[in-house]
Amino acid sequence: MRKSYKRSFDEIARIVADTAQFFAEHEINDELRMKVDLSLEELFVNMVNYNTETDRDILLEMNPVERGVEVSLTDYDVERFDPTLMRQVDTDAPLSERTPGGLGLYLVLKMADSIHYEYHDRTSKITFRNIVSSGGAG
Amino acid sequence: MFEIGLNEQGEVVVSGRLDAAHAPRAQEFLDAVEGGCVVDMAALEYISSAGLGVLLSTHKRLMSARQGLELVNVNPHINDIFRYSGFDKLFVIRIA
Repeated sequence: MRKSYKRSFDEIARIVADTAQFFAEHEINDELRMKVDLSLEELFVNMVNYNTETDRDILLEMNPVERGVEVSLTDYDVERFDPTLMRQVDTDAPLSERTPGGLGLYLVLKMADSIHYEYHDRTSKITFRNIVSSGGAG
Repeated sequence: MFEIGLNEQGEVVVSGRLDAAHAPRAQEFLDAVEGGCVVDMAALEYISSAGLGVLLSTHKRLMSARQGLELVNVNPHINDIFRYSGFDKLFVIRIA
């Protein structure tokens, strides 16, 4: 699958629907859906929120791999921002010290079985995989 | 699709997908809540960090008056998200 989405949160519903269709067409284990939906939303929202210099669409690519799925999001006309280098969130901090900031990308790193970042010619591409483990969903 | 409202017991009931597109509506609703509050999540299918942020900010506001949110009928997938986020240490959570 290779589709483009406008830089709007309203596109999340279309991404979810397209992902569901892709999973059905390729008979990918539905147990991976929650993780893929979450990572996709967090990365897409991050691109929309932090790259306001362009109107270009964000490209989503999805391919089946053995026992799972590989997903890429590509953003254009953007500064380098490598989400794999995100600082850890202190999930043991007391309520008074907790803020929602950073939780999204932290969850992406927690959910993905592998994640890879590329940057060249002001183009950011992040690719992650979710794989079903031998005992169930990965 | 996301819905939020009150049931006959005065509990907040959420259903569908609490994502970045719907978080502002959830925040607006929960901003009007005062005192301790039970949130029934039996029909909640999905939550992202935007939804977690809504729960966290509401809980912090209510906890300042020694109240807070209690999250009930949480499905196992959403409970995983809560555990990864450390919410199991901040909220009373009851799994479905």
